[in-house]
Amino acid sequence: MKAATLAQLAVAGGRTDKVRMTFTAVSSAPAAVVLLAAAAVVAVPELGTEQDGSDILNEVYSNSLLREPGLRPGVVFTLLMLAVPVLFLAGQSIRFGSPARDRRLAAMRLAGATPGQAVRIAAAETAAAALLGSIVGTGAFLLLRVLLHRRPADGRLPLPTDVLPSALAFTGVLVLVPVLAALIGAFLLRRVIITPLGVVRRVRSQSPRLWPGVLILVGVFAPLVIRPLGAFLARLDDTAGGDLALVVAFVGVLLAVAGVIIGTGWIAYTAGRLLHRFGRRPAMLLAGRNLMADPWNGSRTLSALLAALVVGAGVLAYRAYMVTHFAVTNEALARREDIVAESDQESFFRNAVDLVRIAVVVGALVAAAGIMVALAESIVARRRTYAGLIAAGVPRGVLGASIAWQTLAPLVPAVLVALTVGVSLLRAVVPAEATGRGGATCSGGPSDCYPGSPSWVEHPVVTRAVPVPLDDLLVLGGGAVAVMLLVVGVGLLLLRRSTDLDELRVA
Amino acid sequence: MTALLQGTGLQRSYGPTPALRGIDLEIGAGEIVAVTGPSGCGKSTLLHCLAGILRADAGEVRYRDQDLGLLSEASRSRLRRTEFGVLFQFGQLVPELTAAENVALPLLLAGSGRREARKAATLWLGRFGVGDLADQLPGKMSGGQQQRCAVARALVTEPKVLFADEPTGALDVLTGEQVLTEIVHIARQQGTSVLLVTHDAQVAAYADREIALRDGVVDHSGLGLGIGS
Amino acid sequence: MSTSHLLLGLLSVGPQHGYDLKRAHDTRLPQAKPLAFGQVYATLGRLERDGLVEQAGQDRDGGPDRTTYAITDAGREKLGEWLAAIEPPAPYVNSVLFAKVVVSLLASGTTAATDYLVAQRTAHTTRMRELTAIKTTRDSTAGDVVAADYAIAHLDADLRWLQATLLRITDLHREVIT
Repeated sequence: MKAATLAQLAVAGGRTDKVRMTFTAVSSAPAAVVLLAAAAVVAVPELGTEQDGSDILNEVYSNSLLREPGLRPGVVFTLLMLAVPVLFLAGQSIRFGSPARDRRLAAMRLAGATPGQAVRIAAAETAAAALLGSIVGTGAFLLLRVLLHRRPADGRLPLPTDVLPSALAFTGVLVLVPVLAALIGAFLLRRVIITPLGVVRRVRSQSPRLWPGVLILVGVFAPLVIRPLGAFLARLDDTAGGDLALVVAFVGVLLAVAGVIIGTGWIAYTAGRLLHRFGRRPAMLLAGRNLMADPWNGSRTLSALLAALVVGAGVLAYRAYMVTHFAVTNEALARREDIVAESDQESFFRNAVDLVRIAVVVGALVAAAGIMVALAESIVARRRTYAGLIAAGVPRGVLGASIAWQTLAPLVPAVLVALTVGVSLLRAVVPAEATGRGGATCSGGPSDCYPGSPSWVEHPVVTRAVPVPLDDLLVLGGGAVAVMLLVVGVGLLLLRRSTDLDELRVA
Repeated sequence: MTALLQGTGLQRSYGPTPALRGIDLEIGAGEIVAVTGPSGCGKSTLLHCLAGILRADAGEVRYRDQDLGLLSEASRSRLRRTEFGVLFQFGQLVPELTAAENVALPLLLAGSGRREARKAATLWLGRFGVGDLADQLPGKMSGGQQQRCAVARALVTEPKVLFADEPTGALDVLTGEQVLTEIVHIARQQGTSVLLVTHDAQVAAYADREIALRDGVVDHSGLGLGIGS
Repeated sequence: MSTSHLLLGLLSVGPQHGYDLKRAHDTRLPQAKPLAFGQVYATLGRLERDGLVEQAGQDRDGGPDRTTYAITDAGREKLGEWLAAIEPPAPYVNSVLFAKVVVSLLASGTTAATDYLVAQRTAHTTRMRELTAIKTTRDSTAGDVVAADYAIAHLDADLRWLQATLLRITDLHREVIT
């Protein structure tokens, strides 16, 4: 197949294909921006000479991550890592085949195209859309460079807006984004078989194993067991027992995290079974059976969402600990009538936590977009059944409700479990209470300063239990559910479009 | 015989292509009517219009003196699942539901309890000789067994009109014959009207009367088949 | 197909007299044209003359004397030959329908031919519906169904031909009148 033919066949799509191409382009653009940002960091000049090594700080920047040569490779690596899920999202949209594209690809197979050629045609469409996205992304990067180039009073730049990535880097990004998106897309199509008679989505049909479920239960109940166990072990052997309890706690919670991430299929299957068993309404019956029939649908992206939530919950719990820690320290100092000011340590901590929170939100959004693609795919794959049901008088509302149940029934418990596991992961390793030492002050000369002398004042130790940050967890979990509701909404729009009665006419 | 379902001056196009170009027809209570004609003559579109699945561009469809064109989508949905039954060539069972659940679905939608719906579903599957498959998924059944389940689902609500579009198109001769015979029996027993769309004269012969379409109109050379009898 | 082969076949299960043979024929071959008694006896006479059947006895059952016939070895051989022989698949197009259409085009033109075809189609469809009704009756036997199937298939073939000929009638007319 000649390149020109391939290009022509790749972009021959209709209106729904434009939606998918837009989606691919929109998710490729940020990938290009992130990769160019990494290239910009690479372009920050190394001031070190052969003799001096590369230890000289680049004082142009206010941010220590950019200033210190030793930290810059880490920044580049992080940015590259951040680009991976975004690229995956761009590639994933290939699976969301419109009925028209499925028919077109099937017709090409019928006309003599090999399976490989059909996959290449689909992947070429992704590449074309991703190229468009990376061009837009490059434009956005150049625009952002200009907009963010502000020199504050101290003359130090917050971002490397003074250097431009090399021409090689620009070309590389323009080429790399479409190629990677297409490769990922072709890889993700491996479960989709394009036959001359239609497009078949292979469904992993074996029901999920039980063990991830056991791991999850361990994770949920671990916090209840760990502390009494620790106390028991501590009574046996004071130091080793405490360490052992810590190890046990850490391993247990780690297993639970693994359970949540590997066990999405089990969660979906179990949610389906419960819906089917206890659901009274037809929508619940449909949703339950769908979940039981294909619990793996979207499980990869659901895992990503849950992983983001576990990390997010852990960070929130850590933040709660640190906040309490600073509070009690300040309180202890206040009792000593010292002046309380926000320490450097505290502001550094806030910045770090905020960065991680942004990463969690971005990760969760990317994962939610992935779930949307998976949901769209499953709706499109079932479109003929849906059209038949609507013709038989099943109201669209019932089908919509079944899609909502199908998405939310596994999600809500999974979110709760992920949050619980995230919090218990942290609480297993950091203390449950924060202690601020008041220390002692001495008003006399050095000779008067010993514990018990009249000028020696012992300040009280302030201890406070670290609260579970319920408000923040509610915002995080609620946010995840809200984003998923949005995903369901998009699914319902798609349902409306996919249940055209034309589906009944095409045999 | 007073008409139970009546279409007058029905027209419908897909884009610039006209599928129906003014069709009149009546179906009496308990009557089995075949609509025949070559592929592309508009017979499926006619069925979709009469069943209230599609709205006609012009003309009107009356069911028991009710104008379907004036009903909302929700009311037409309700009508389709209570008064009408629909049956297509294939692909109408929900693959994830068992046979009994598929058949019970219309009853559940109508508000029946699960146990009650399940009982009725098993009964109807039994009537069509697939009672022992109640807990099977459609994917594990043969085409004929699936179509029997589909017929059971179309008839479980004891509809007044059954719309069947090439109901035996995907079946072998003998299985198709059994399915048709069962449909005719149930229809006679319950006084159900049947609109049978087919391109096959042998299938059409199960009807009391035949209406031949050609290019979106009632075929004049076939008029003798449409009137009288 | 000849009546003699049919009677030989019916006698192959055991000796029977003429009345039984007629009844067996009418039940085994439902929907076929019923056999007349005269034809049964005439055929039996011919078969006896050729040595294919023989008289096996007389019985008097309150009524007139009735002769029972049995198949001979020669008769069995003859029956075997007939059953094994392949019927030539439609060697000649020898249909009244076809002849009528051509003659009607010659004599009266397309309108008359079309009218005939439409009327014939209606008659065929009606007959097909009657036969289908026999099939869907609950007490119909397998023999009834198979017989109806045979007729329906032939009517269906005729119907397809009628339909196609309706579409080709002008072409045929042009050819016939030149």
